[in-house]
Amino acid sequence: MDVALQQLVNGLTVGAFYALIALGYTMVYGIIRLINFAQGDLYSVGAFIGLSMLSLLAGLHLRNPLVLTALGLVVSMGATGLLGVLIYRVAYRPLLRSPLSILISAIGASLTLEYSLLLIYSPSFLVYPSLFDTGGPALGDLVVSWMQVTIFLVSLALMLALYVLVHRTKLGLAMRALAINQDAARLMGIDVSRVIAATFFVGSALAAFGGVMTGLYYGQISFLMGFLAGLKAFTAAVLGGIGNIPGAMLGGFIVGIVESLATGYISGRWKDVVTFGILILILVVRPRGLLGERVVERM
Amino acid sequence: MRRFAPVSVLVVVVLALCAPAGGAQGAPVKLGVPVPLSGGSAEAGQDILNGARLAADQANARGGVLGRQIEIVSADDACDAQQGVTAAQKLVDAGVVAVAGGYCSSAALPESGVFHTAGVAFVADASTNPQLTEQGFDNVFRDIGRDDQQGPFAANFMVDDLHAHRIAIVHDNTVYAKGLAEATRTALAGKPGVHVVFFDAITPGEKDFTATLTRIKSLRPDVLYFTGYYAEGGLLARQFKALRVPGEFMAGDANNDPTFIKEAGAAADGVLVTSAPLAQFLPEAKAYIAAYRAKYGHAPGPYSAYEYDAVNITIAAIKRANTTDRAAIIKALARTTDFKGITGTISFNAKGDRAGVNYMVLEIRDGEFTAYRAAA
Amino acid sequence: MDPRRRQIASIRAGLAIATGLAALVLPLAANAYVTDVATLILIYVMLGLGLNIVVGYAGLLDLGYAAFFAIGAYSSAILTVHHHMSYWLTIPVAACLTTVSGAIIGAPTLRMRSDYLAIVTLGFGEIVRITATNLSFSGGPDGVWGIPRPSIGPVTLSGSAALYYLGLAFAAAVLMLAHNAARSRLGRAWRAVREDEIAARAAGINTVSAKLKAYMLGALLGGVAGSFFAVKLTAIDPTSFTFVQSVNILMVVILGGMGSLPGVVLGAVVIVGLPEVLRAFQTVRMLAFGVGLILLMLLRPQGLWPSRMGTLGRHAAAPASGRPEPTSQAAASG
Repeated sequence: MDVALQQLVNGLTVGAFYALIALGYTMVYGIIRLINFAQGDLYSVGAFIGLSMLSLLAGLHLRNPLVLTALGLVVSMGATGLLGVLIYRVAYRPLLRSPLSILISAIGASLTLEYSLLLIYSPSFLVYPSLFDTGGPALGDLVVSWMQVTIFLVSLALMLALYVLVHRTKLGLAMRALAINQDAARLMGIDVSRVIAATFFVGSALAAFGGVMTGLYYGQISFLMGFLAGLKAFTAAVLGGIGNIPGAMLGGFIVGIVESLATGYISGRWKDVVTFGILILILVVRPRGLLGERVVERM
Repeated sequence: MRRFAPVSVLVVVVLALCAPAGGAQGAPVKLGVPVPLSGGSAEAGQDILNGARLAADQANARGGVLGRQIEIVSADDACDAQQGVTAAQKLVDAGVVAVAGGYCSSAALPESGVFHTAGVAFVADASTNPQLTEQGFDNVFRDIGRDDQQGPFAANFMVDDLHAHRIAIVHDNTVYAKGLAEATRTALAGKPGVHVVFFDAITPGEKDFTATLTRIKSLRPDVLYFTGYYAEGGLLARQFKALRVPGEFMAGDANNDPTFIKEAGAAADGVLVTSAPLAQFLPEAKAYIAAYRAKYGHAPGPYSAYEYDAVNITIAAIKRANTTDRAAIIKALARTTDFKGITGTISFNAKGDRAGVNYMVLEIRDGEFTAYRAAA
Repeated sequence: MDPRRRQIASIRAGLAIATGLAALVLPLAANAYVTDVATLILIYVMLGLGLNIVVGYAGLLDLGYAAFFAIGAYSSAILTVHHHMSYWLTIPVAACLTTVSGAIIGAPTLRMRSDYLAIVTLGFGEIVRITATNLSFSGGPDGVWGIPRPSIGPVTLSGSAALYYLGLAFAAAVLMLAHNAARSRLGRAWRAVREDEIAARAAGINTVSAKLKAYMLGALLGGVAGSFFAVKLTAIDPTSFTFVQSVNILMVVILGGMGSLPGVVLGAVVIVGLPEVLRAFQTVRMLAFGVGLILLMLLRPQGLWPSRMGTLGRHAAAPASGRPEPTSQAAASG
C-alpha cells in the first residue's frame, strides 16, 4: 500500500507540472484554435530566465531563499508572459485566418525559442542552485518533501485564480465571448487583439512558473526540456477537453498518475503506450474529452 | 623571384580547387571528425572536436604530415542515424583522407557503412557498441573498450567488491545504454546467488524518475546500475537519495562527466562510475591536460583524450603509409601496434578493436572523481 | 480559358518539364553528397504526397504520419534481413501492411473533430515507435542492420546514383498515383468533405468512407516511402520515426501549399535542403531554420506553391461551398 501511495504522490507531482503547461495550451486553443507548439518552450524559457535572475541576485548577496524564489518567479513570469505576447504579435496575429500556416509558424517559433536558448545559454543542461533542502514531513516509508507539497498547493492556487479570472472578471468574460464567436465579440466592442494578447500573457506566465519550479525541484534544466513536457501537457489538455480550464488541470493530474502507475506496475518502457492508449480510448468513448467543451461552443 | 610569389599562390589555389581530394602537394591533408554539435550531446561532441583540433595543431607545429598541414573537417551528426549518414557523406565528398571521431553509437553505426562504401578509414574514439567492429568492415577501428567488455567488468565489480546479491539495472532504451545493460545482465547470469531483480528503461529527456525508483526501492536492491547518459544519471542519483532507496548507486561510462557531479549535487557523494580511465588518471596525459586548458580555458571532458589519440594514430598511419591514399591508410592503420598514446599503449586486433583495454571504477568524493578504493 | 490562365498553365507545365529533366540528369552533374541529399528529398516528396492526401485533400490533420513510414521501413527491413525475401517482393507486403494499419487507425477516429484527430494520430505514432523500440523482433533500439541493396538480375543497385534513380522512379509512380487520385471522383469527394462535411453528406457523399480511403491511400504511400528509405539507409532504427519526423513531413505539405502537388515537391526541397545549406553555420542552423519558417509563413501564408483550388476554397469558403464542383482544369493544377 505504501508503494501505491508513493506512486500516487509521484504522479501528482509530475501531473502538477503537466497541468501548468496544459493551461496555456487550452487557453490559447480555446480562443484562437491554435495548437501553440511553442507553449512547451515557453516553459523552458521561464526556467532559464529564472536561473539568470537567481544568479544575478546571488551576485548581489541576497541569501534569503524565499525572497530569491519570489523575485525569480515574478521576473520570469513577467518576462515570459511578454515573450508569449511578442510571439503572438509577430508570428501568429498576421496568420489568424490561415489555420495551417499558423501551425507551421508555431513550429518555427518553437524551434526559434529552443535554439536561441542553446546559443544564449548552453547546448547541454544547466544546474539550478539548491535553495531548499529536500526534507519533508515524517510519514514512515512514504517520502514527500515540503517542496512537493508547496508546488502542489501553489499550482492548485494558481489554477483556482485562473478559474476566477476567466469566470468572474470582465477580462474573463471577454475571453469567453471571444472563444464563442470572435466577430460577434468584436461587434460588442471587445478589443479582440488585446484580449488574445492577455490570454497569451497568462498562459505563458503559468508555463514560466512551472519552468522555475522545475529548476528548483529537479535541479536541472535544458533547452530541449519543453519538448517532451509540452507533448505530455498537450495530451493532458486534450484528455481533459481542450478549451476547458478545469479539464486541463484534471488532464494533467490524470496523465501524471497514469504514467507513474504504469511505470510502477507495468514497465517504464511501456508507460507512454499506456498513456496514449488510455487517451485514445477516452476519445473514442467521449470524443470531446473528459470535461467536454464548456468554455467553447463552436462548430 | 618576388614577382613569382603571386603566381605560385595562384597555382596552389587552382590546384586546391581542382583536386578537392587533396592530391595536390602543399594542400592540407583533411581529417574528418563527425560528432554531435547540436542536440543534447553537443557538449560531449564539442569536447571531442577540441581534442582533435589540439592534436592537429600540435602536429602542424611539428611540420604536419608528409610535409603538408593537417586540417580538421567537422560535421554535425546530432547523434542521429539519418543526419549521421548525410554528415558522413559530406565528409567523404569534402575529400577527407581518413576519419577519427564519433560519439553516439546510434550515429556512428550508420556512418561506418558510408565510410566503408567510400573506402575511408574510421577510427572511433567514444562509440562503445560492440556491433561497430562486428560488421566485418576492414576500415573501422576503435581506441576505446566495448560495452561487452565493460558489462562483465561492472558485473565482476558488483559481485566481488560490493558483494551484491540483488542488482537493479536501469537503461534508457538507446543503442548504447541497452547494449551495456544487456552485457551486464548476461555477465551476471552465470554468478551463483546473484539476482537481477529489476531490468527496465527510463525515457531520456524526462526529469522525474521517482516512479521507477519507487518500484526499485520496493525490491530492496544492493546495487542499482544505470547504463544511460549523464543528463539522466545526475537526476536519478538525486532522486535515488531523496527517495531513500537502499544500496549503492553505480553508473556506466557515459556518466564520467564532471557535469554529473554538478547535477547530482550533494547526492553525488559516494556514487560509483565504471569507466575507461579518465585523462586525470593517466600518467601520460599530464601535458595533454595542460595544453587543453591553455587552449580552451577549461579541463578536458571524458573522451577528448581518446579522440586526441585517435587523431594521432591516424597521423602516424599516414606517415607509415607515406601517402594520403585512403586504402593505404586503412592498411597502415590495421598494422598499428604499440602506439604510445596518452591513454596508454594502443594496438588494434583483427577486428579493429583496441587490444587489452582497461577499465576502472571511479568514486565521487567531495565533488571530484577519485579512483575507487575498497573500504578497509 | 482566358489567355492569362493559359499562359500560367503553360509556364507551370514548362516548369514541371524542366524540373523533371533536371531531376533526371542530376547525378551526372553532382557529387555523391548532393545526390544523397536529393535522394532524401525524393523520400520526403513521397511522404509529402501521401500525407497531402490526408491533410491537403481530405483536410484531416495527422500528427503521426511517421507511423506508416516506420511500418513500411520495418516491413522491408525485417523481411529482407531475417527472411531473405527479395526486396521487390517486400514492397507489396509493406504496402498491404500500411494500408491495413491506416484503416485500423482511421476507423475509430474518423468521427472525431480534426483537432482531436491530431492528438489521436500523434498517440498512434508514438505507440508504433515505442513498440518498435521495445520489441525484439524489430531489433529494439538497435533497429535492423545490414539491409541488402536491391538488385535487378545480376546488377546490384548500390551507388548513390543508382539508388537516386530508383527513388526517382518510386517518386514518379507515387506522383502519378496522387495526381490521378486527386482528379478522380474520390478526389472530388475528399475536397467536398474538406470544405464542408455537412454539405458533402447532404450531396450524397459517404463521408466516412471517403475519409477512410484517404487514410488508407495516404498510409500506403507512406509505406512505400518507408520501404525505399530502408534500402537507401541499409540500417533503420526507431529514432528515425519520432514525432519530430511526423512534424517534418507535415511541414513539407503545408509549406509547399496544401493540396498542391508541385507545392509538395518544393516543400520537400526546402525542408531537406535548407538545413543542409545552413550546415556551414553549424550551431545557428536550427535557429535560422525556425526563423525561416516563421518568415516564410508570414510572407506566403498560403504556402510556396498553393493549389488554386485550395486558396479559392479557403478565402471564399462560404459562397464556394454552394458552387458546382470545379472542372478538370482546376484539379489539374492541384
